[in-house]
Amino acid sequence: MSKSVIVKNVTKKYKLYNKTSEKLLDILLPKSYGEDFYALRNISFEAEEGDIIGFVGVNGSGKSTLSNVIAGVVPQTGGTVDIKGNASLIAVSAGLNNQLTGRENIELKCLMLGFSKKEIRGLEPDIIEFAELDKFIDQPVKSYSSGMKSRLGFSISVHTDPDVLIIDEALSVGDKAFAEKCLDKMNEFKARGKTMFFISHSIGQMKQFCEKAIWLEFGQVRMSGDIKEVIPEYEKFLNEYKAMTNEEKKNFREKAMQQQSESTVTS
Amino acid sequence: MSSMFKVIKEQIESFYLIRRLSLYELKSTNNNNYLGMMWELLNPGIQIAIYWFVFGYGIREGRDIDGVPFFQWMLAGIVVWFFINPSISQGSKSIYTRIRMISKMSFPMSVIPTYVIFSKLYPHMVLVVISTAILHFTGYPISIYFIQIPYFLFGTIALLLAISLITSTLSTIVRDVQQIVQAILRIMIYLLPILWVTFSLPEWVQSVMKVNPLFYLVEGYRHALLGQGWYIISDPYYTLYFWLIVFILFWIGSALHVKFRKHFIDFL
Repeated sequence: MSKSVIVKNVTKKYKLYNKTSEKLLDILLPKSYGEDFYALRNISFEAEEGDIIGFVGVNGSGKSTLSNVIAGVVPQTGGTVDIKGNASLIAVSAGLNNQLTGRENIELKCLMLGFSKKEIRGLEPDIIEFAELDKFIDQPVKSYSSGMKSRLGFSISVHTDPDVLIIDEALSVGDKAFAEKCLDKMNEFKARGKTMFFISHSIGQMKQFCEKAIWLEFGQVRMSGDIKEVIPEYEKFLNEYKAMTNEEKKNFREKAMQQQSESTVTS
Repeated sequence: MSSMFKVIKEQIESFYLIRRLSLYELKSTNNNNYLGMMWELLNPGIQIAIYWFVFGYGIREGRDIDGVPFFQWMLAGIVVWFFINPSISQGSKSIYTRIRMISKMSFPMSVIPTYVIFSKLYPHMVLVVISTAILHFTGYPISIYFIQIPYFLFGTIALLLAISLITSTLSTIVRDVQQIVQAILRIMIYLLPILWVTFSLPEWVQSVMKVNPLFYLVEGYRHALLGQGWYIISDPYYTLYFWLIVFILFWIGSALHVKFRKHFIDFL
């Protein structure tokens, strides 16, 4: 099996500014203003074709940033991401135009992804069928419920046949029946040797679906490997975290913040 | 210089997309209204009526301008303003309002201001046709000078693209730029020979006003629509100046755009 995604030493640095004037000075002057914040630091991993990798971690650990970097939405500050083929990100608010109808959104999105008019006409019925929108398809997207939006977003992304699929919490708004359907579709993708990344707080879904997992903490990889090894450790940590007093939780978060704003880390 | 060629190449390669996307853009801005795209014509119509009332009927008391009635004179100049005004204001916020939706797509980002401008082009062309028809039946029939219109249209698009490349980049980085652009647009109509006549001003004031490249376009449209002469050659240095300005602005715009576009999403 060949490697489909190679992530090497990826770092993402954000700047935190206390005043808007600092932001302006930082752009204009060569001197650095504001505070550094490392959302990701030195992340390296490889994925093979057909791998399904889950990202776990508490809020703010860098899961969404990492998925955005892999999808190419957000540029990394350092390191490299090599992807064989094209990557598609599915998030809850996955780029739908609220003013246009569902059908127009399908056309628009496919157009932007480089499909021709004829190809779009071929894909359209399948997308509508899968999204289960029925007569809502000709209503503006702003009238959709969040479940409907994510169904449409998922359906479009899945049917445009990406080589690498990144699913960021997109299934958590759908009902169980739709989640099952998506899982079926994803299993079909898996059989065709596509790589998938799965981000969810639902450990149940994770266990059901992923084979490998990467546990992120403070923007770094805390543990990676087989799902059977990582998830129990992560659950253990979660229970410990839950058992902490508020004071301890606060200390934990402060430690995290401090670590993420230092330029070098010795841990 | 290389970024300029890059941007031009991207525009040509994505021309099909620009055309298709601009239609969706036009649709999504007008979907909410019952009258839909009619507003693209109704709005200019209402403004023309009030400007004629205030400036033509009120201030000028119905006097004509070198033999041209005020209404026709104003119409021939204001037509292009209804293209320039929304194009610059929408064009400069085109990137930061859309980047979340289209940050990962298979087309270059320099196309975003272009398709927003193109979505304003369709109502403009309809407006030109309507104005031509009105002028044709009110004493200014279509003449040979009318063939200057495609040239001035091309010049307008080129200038608008150059300006939007600059303003869309700057307003993504510093959001205040959008406010500055709006403020300038609001006064701009009074700095152009659209609503009032500038010949009576001292020579040097007129020259200063002509530094503005939009002056060239307004006068050009007027000469073409009213059949007043070949504006392109009647003042060749002004034509040359206009294209020099377009070139410089486009150069600055594409350099800025290419330099910052990778990081646009970080500025949100």
